[in-house]
Amino acid sequence: MTLAEESERIVRARAAAPVRRPAPRTGGVVRRVVSRYWTIAVLLVGWQLWASLNGYNRIVVPQPGEVVADVVGNSGAYLPDLLATLGMSAAGLLTGMAAGVALAVAVWTSPLVSGMTTPIALIMRSVPVVAMIPVLARVFGYGWQTVLVITTIVSFFPAFVFVAARLRDAPRSTSDVFAVLGASRVTVLRRLLLPHAVPGLLVAFRLTAPSAVLAAMLAEYLMGGRGLGVLFAQSVSFYQPERAWGTALVATVVSVACFVGARAVERRGLARMT
Amino acid sequence: MSQPAIALQSVVKEFPLRRGTAVRALDRFDLQIADGEFVAVLGPSGCGKSTVLRLVAGLDTPSEGTVTIEGARPADLVRGHRLGVAFQEHALLPWASARANVELPWKVAGRPVDTARVDELLELVGLTGFADARPRQLSGGMRQRVAIARALALTPDVLLLDEPFGALDAVTRRRMNLELARIWAEERITTLLVTHDVDEAVLLADRVVVMTGRPGRVRHTESIDFPRPRRTEVTRDPAFHEIVDRLTRLLDESDEPGHSDAAA
Amino acid sequence: MSALLARVPRRTVLPAVAGIVLLVVAADAIGRLGLAGAAWPTVTDVVDYLTSPTAQTLLGRALAATGTAAAIGFVAGGLGALALALLGALLPAAGPGLDRLAAVVHAVPLIALAPLLVTTVGREGTSTVIAALAAGFAVFVAATSALASTARAGRDVFAVLGASRLSTVLRLQLPAGLPTIVDGLTLAAPAAVLGAVIGEWFGARRGLGVLLVSAMQNVQIPLLWSAALSAAALSLAAYVLLVALRGWVTRRFT
Repeated sequence: MTLAEESERIVRARAAAPVRRPAPRTGGVVRRVVSRYWTIAVLLVGWQLWASLNGYNRIVVPQPGEVVADVVGNSGAYLPDLLATLGMSAAGLLTGMAAGVALAVAVWTSPLVSGMTTPIALIMRSVPVVAMIPVLARVFGYGWQTVLVITTIVSFFPAFVFVAARLRDAPRSTSDVFAVLGASRVTVLRRLLLPHAVPGLLVAFRLTAPSAVLAAMLAEYLMGGRGLGVLFAQSVSFYQPERAWGTALVATVVSVACFVGARAVERRGLARMT
Repeated sequence: MSQPAIALQSVVKEFPLRRGTAVRALDRFDLQIADGEFVAVLGPSGCGKSTVLRLVAGLDTPSEGTVTIEGARPADLVRGHRLGVAFQEHALLPWASARANVELPWKVAGRPVDTARVDELLELVGLTGFADARPRQLSGGMRQRVAIARALALTPDVLLLDEPFGALDAVTRRRMNLELARIWAEERITTLLVTHDVDEAVLLADRVVVMTGRPGRVRHTESIDFPRPRRTEVTRDPAFHEIVDRLTRLLDESDEPGHSDAAA
Repeated sequence: MSALLARVPRRTVLPAVAGIVLLVVAADAIGRLGLAGAAWPTVTDVVDYLTSPTAQTLLGRALAATGTAAAIGFVAGGLGALALALLGALLPAAGPGLDRLAAVVHAVPLIALAPLLVTTVGREGTSTVIAALAAGFAVFVAATSALASTARAGRDVFAVLGASRLSTVLRLQLPAGLPTIVDGLTLAAPAAVLGAVIGEWFGARRGLGVLLVSAMQNVQIPLLWSAALSAAALSLAAYVLLVALRGWVTRRFT
């Protein structure tokens, strides 16, 4: 097994995340909802019980109701930072994935580039990129540039690996048809390989979208500036527990929404492309 | 015959497809197997013969009709660990030795392993020297023998064989069939074999049931009266070839299209 | 790394080595020419710093702290996740809920989780718990998919033999799923290191994460890069160790 395949297998294993379980056949919607979300309900009830039984005051642990009330009542306070974080994540996602595709194509063009990049890619894979935020903050400065850089790096790797893999295993028979037609390499790439690589890109998108948002928030938290990470840090230091927990709640919802949204995009795209 | 060991009565099996449509795999299917009888169900691929076996094994339940083994539901026999089964895929545990694979039924049933019986089974399938070998160190034919030894382990009331040699090459398959004929002559367990290989069915069975394709029904039943134990000589008997030719012709006819397979 | 490279044909080793050498040379050149500003040191700066005794004590202590937190988190998170996945396999009704729980816990941003943990398990425990959660998620995902994807023929044989659900899980699904579960462990090991480092950003007293943040704030460039390299090395070591284990498990269980 080559290093490239090795690293791919690893990432691919992560892609295998959603497990389809057979839905319970009998019973209606209620039963299905209960079977899916009972743990979340237990979590919320546990939170409420924990907060009230231990007699924590609201500075330590606010109750779920208070947190939701703050998010709903003062949504204006969250919105600018939410948009800042989302914007940064989207921009990083776009540049990172574009760079990943570009390098994947470069690797497809040249075996030498391929041989030189795969070990680096493998090392990069096991480098805890998010833990490097302090280094990047020093190199790129405290500010939006670093947030963009970290989201770009986070988005780059999966796009590179999955697109490169798809470029390599293009269907043989169709390639032969193109060869018989005397198509140039550029034509093969544009008409056959890139469309063939789209599913790989979609997988990468699903994997990356939530982690880009989470990485953006961590970077914001460490460096300041704008965004949900900053809002959280400030609420903590100004003793606004509802705001802090509310930020956490919004961030969680955003991250889940990113995953669900990206998965929907992936399914749509796959249905269209295959 | 008295009460049959296995009885399928006007069994219908439908598999749901998308939105309310269903495909009918079996249609009013009847089959009785006597105690100690070896019946082969022969049919073209996709005719629902594996469905018959899965119903008897309790792996599926019929949409209509009844399936009983010794008057009880298959699930009851399963609970009593009284069925033995071998599939086309050997389904051996790859991390366990041949011996450990044969021991599996005892462990699953929570009973102490009968070491003497395990030795006897390994000898019966000719694998005494390979007891400690892992499945991937064995040839395809040897793996199937382990699977058959495992199926026989608890001396089951009923033995179910679903194309057990279907993945083997023709030469090995023939050798395995003769082997199985010998083993069966010693154990004499009520057996249901599902296959698309006519030679295999005629060599092994007391009775061959030919099925039509989709939806599956019984088309023809043929009694095979060659004496047991059956050896290679049987396959050189002109009567053997006469039966094989006739059944093959029936199979070819039932393979022809013309049956609609989806019912709304 | 050598264990990994030993299996690679020589033809691919040359470009690989060239790639790594090129990476180091480029990093050094950027530092020397000051292309990325003062925060990008030369390779020799970092090597000089790494060889000094003070740096070695400092980094050694931090490595030990982070390594311990990551290791405990890896083991605890892995075992906990495996237990949950087994529970989901034994009680299919509980399964979908556990999947959702894992997804939501994974989606809770660390910045939100960490302060909560600091109030409940203390500053030192936080990095261990975050490491456990990070590793646990990877293991849970791998284990649920491993337990769910046992070949049909194997399941059928167990069903016909009248195996109980517990017996099927322990004798068939778990061993058959081990290679995939170990795949999850190879992802979980670097995840545990990352979790431990990030956990230390929230007020731990020692560890590589502490060094990273304080070096960032105090502009100690060689220390910053040395701490980063140590974290990367720790993560790589954990990964390579698990890849070796995976090789053995794959040979034994398939």
